[in-house]
Amino acid sequence: MAVSTTRRGSSHLFLIPAFLLYTLFVIYPLLTGLSYSVFTWKGTLRDTFAGFANYVHLLTGSFLDQLLPALGHNFLLFAGTMLVQNTLGLALALALSRARRGKRVLQTMFALPYLVNPLVIGYLWTLLLSPTFGPVNALLRGAGLDGLAMPWLGDPATALPTVIAITTWQWVGFPMLLFSAALGGIPQEYAEAATTDGANAWQVFWRITLPLLRPAMGTITILSFIGSMNTFALVYALGGSNGAPAGATDVLGLLFYRAAFASGDVNAMGTSSALAVLMFTFIFGSTLLLERVLRRKA
Amino acid sequence: MRLAPLAAAVLLSVAACAPSSPSTPAQSQDKVTLSVWGWGPEENFDEMFAAYEKLNPGVDVDARSFTTSTEYDTILATGLAGDSGPDLAWLRAGPKIQPLVEAGRLLPLETADIPGLKDYDEDVLRSAKGDKDGKVYGVPFAVQTLQVIYNKKIFADNGLTPPQTWADMIAAAEKLKAEDIVPFAFGGKDDWMLPIVAGIFGTANWGGDAFLDDVRAKKKKFTDPAFVAGIDQLNKLRPYFPDHMTGVSYTDAQILFSSGKAAMFPGGLWELNFFTENAKDIDLGVFTPPAPGGGPGLMPGFTDGSYGINAKTKHKAEALKFAAWLASKEYGQLYTDTLRVFSAVPGVTPTDPLLKEVSTTFDKQGATYFMNEFAYGNPSSQTVFSKALQEMLLGRITAEEAAGQLDQSVATWL
Repeated sequence: MAVSTTRRGSSHLFLIPAFLLYTLFVIYPLLTGLSYSVFTWKGTLRDTFAGFANYVHLLTGSFLDQLLPALGHNFLLFAGTMLVQNTLGLALALALSRARRGKRVLQTMFALPYLVNPLVIGYLWTLLLSPTFGPVNALLRGAGLDGLAMPWLGDPATALPTVIAITTWQWVGFPMLLFSAALGGIPQEYAEAATTDGANAWQVFWRITLPLLRPAMGTITILSFIGSMNTFALVYALGGSNGAPAGATDVLGLLFYRAAFASGDVNAMGTSSALAVLMFTFIFGSTLLLERVLRRKA
Repeated sequence: MRLAPLAAAVLLSVAACAPSSPSTPAQSQDKVTLSVWGWGPEENFDEMFAAYEKLNPGVDVDARSFTTSTEYDTILATGLAGDSGPDLAWLRAGPKIQPLVEAGRLLPLETADIPGLKDYDEDVLRSAKGDKDGKVYGVPFAVQTLQVIYNKKIFADNGLTPPQTWADMIAAAEKLKAEDIVPFAFGGKDDWMLPIVAGIFGTANWGGDAFLDDVRAKKKKFTDPAFVAGIDQLNKLRPYFPDHMTGVSYTDAQILFSSGKAAMFPGGLWELNFFTENAKDIDLGVFTPPAPGGGPGLMPGFTDGSYGINAKTKHKAEALKFAAWLASKEYGQLYTDTLRVFSAVPGVTPTDPLLKEVSTTFDKQGATYFMNEFAYGNPSSQTVFSKALQEMLLGRITAEEAAGQLDQSVATWL
C-alpha cells in the first residue's frame, strides 16, 4: 500500500535537521571552494573576479606538465591496488574461509597495519628501505642478493611499485575482511551441489564463488578508486611534497599540497581552489560512472 | 586527507587565541601583553625576551612557537586574517611574505620608529620588503650561510687540512674514499637540499651576485655556460657522495656525518646546532669550497626571516618599541649567542669561535644564495629546479637541460 501524503510530509520534516547539517558541513564548503576558484587572491584576501583564469593556469604550461604525470601516477596506483592488493585480499579471504582454527587471530593480524596512520607507516618504511642504514638492504645483502639491494625509494623505476607494495602491506586486510564477509554470505549448498555434479575446486570458484562476490568486488573497486585518487599521507611520508625521486611518486594530492601550501605564491588560494574543484569533479564523475558500469554488470 | 593540514592549522590557530586573549582586568591597567609567533624552540624565545621584559616592566612578551615549518605559514596567514593573530610574528624571507604584504596584513615599518633599520645591509633588508611597494615589513633577525662542515678528527687522522684549491678538495675526497669513509654526506632523496648543495659547490663558477642581477635584468639566462658549469660540479662530485645517493635522505646524510662515517657535510649553518646536540664528540670545522678556476670560493648566504608587526595589533606603540629593540645590537648579540646562528643585525660579532670564523669568511667571500631570489611562481621555480637537479643526478637529463628547466620556470613570472 502506498504511503499517505501526510506521512510522507512528516517524514520529510524529520529529514530537515540532517539536511541542514549536511548543507552546512558538506555543500557549503564545496560551494565556497568553487567560488574561491573563480577569483584571484592576494594571500587570504579575495581580489578580483578571474573567471576561468585559474583553470587556464592549471591546464597550461608548467602546471600541466606536473598535473598529467601526477594523474597518471594516481591511475597506476589504482591499477596496482586492484591487481596486487585486492587480488591478494581475495586469496587471503578464501584461504581463511577454509581455515579450521585461528581464523579470527589471522584476520586481526592481517588487518592490523591498517589501523596505523599512513604517515607513520611511510616513515617506518623509509627507515626500513634506507640504502645507508635500512635493514631491508642489509638482509638482502646477507642473503647474497646484492643485486636486489637497491635504493628502492630513490630510483624512479622502483619508487612507485614500492609505494604500491607498501600500500598493499597496509591495506590488504580491508578487501580481505569485505571478501570474508561476502564469502560467509554464500550458502555452502551451492558448492556442494556443484561438486556432486562433478565440478572441480577451480570450477566451483570460477563459476559459483566469484560471480557471487561481484557486489563485494564493486564496493571494493569503488573504494580503491577513491582511495587511490585521494592518496596523500603515505606518498608524502615516502617521497616528500615533491614526489621524490624526480617526481616519480607525484600524485594529485601532493600537487594540491604544493599549490596551496608550499609555493608561497600570492594567488595560491585561487590556483589551489581551482585544482580542488577539478579533482572533486573528476573523482565524483568517475565514481558515478564506475558505479553505473559495475551495477549493470552485476 | 588533503584538508588535514588546513584543518590542523585552523584548530591550532583557534587554540592559539587562548594565551593571546586580552589579559585579565587586574593586569590590563598596567601591563601590556605582546604576543609573538615564530618557529624553533620556545625556550629560546623566553630566554631572549626576558631581557626585554626586565628593561620594560610594563610589557609582558608572550612567545609561542610552532615547530612544523609549512604549517606555520598557514597558521600565521589564518591568524593574521582573523582576530586571533599575534602582535608580532616571524616572517619568512622574500617570496613567502608577499601574500601577507599584498593582503595588507602587515604594518610597514619606518626608520622613524625603528632607527636600527637604516644600518642594515640593503641585501639583507630586501628579503623583508614588499616586492611591489618596496616598503620594509620586517626586522630581519637571521642570516644563514651555506658551506662545507667537516670532521676535524677525520681530517687530522688522514693528514688532511681544509682545501686551498679545488684540486686539493678532490684529492682529499679521493683519499677519504680509499679509506672507506664517505667524503661528502649528502642525500639526493629530499630534493630541497639539492639547490643548497649546488649553491655551495657552484656559486664560485657563476660568480654570485653580478650574475643573479644580470638574470633579473634579463641580460643573462641560467643556461649561461658559467651557471651550467656550476651545477655540473654536482655530477663531477658524484663519486664522492654516498652510494645510491638519490635514495639517501637528508636525515640519513646527517646521521652519516654525526656517526663519523662521513668526513664532510655540505649544508647550512643551522646544521651546527644539530651536530653539536647529536654528535657531541665531533670537533667541527667549516670551509668554503675553493673556486675551480683557482683562488678562494664564494660562500652563499641568505636572510632567514624577520619580525613583522600585525597591521591589526591593539598595541601598536608597544609593538613598534619592541621591534626597535629587535633591531638593536643588544638583541642581535642575544640572538646569536642563544641560538648559535648569525644575527642579521649589523655589527654583531658572534662569541662562538666557529661562528666567528664563518662570519669573517662571509664578510670577505659572501654571495647571495641564488635559489631564494628565484623562488617565485606556482609551481614555484624552486620546486621545478629541485626536481630538475634530482633528474640530473639520476642521469636522466644533463646540467644544461636542468638549467633550461629553471629558465623556463623563471620565465613564467619574471
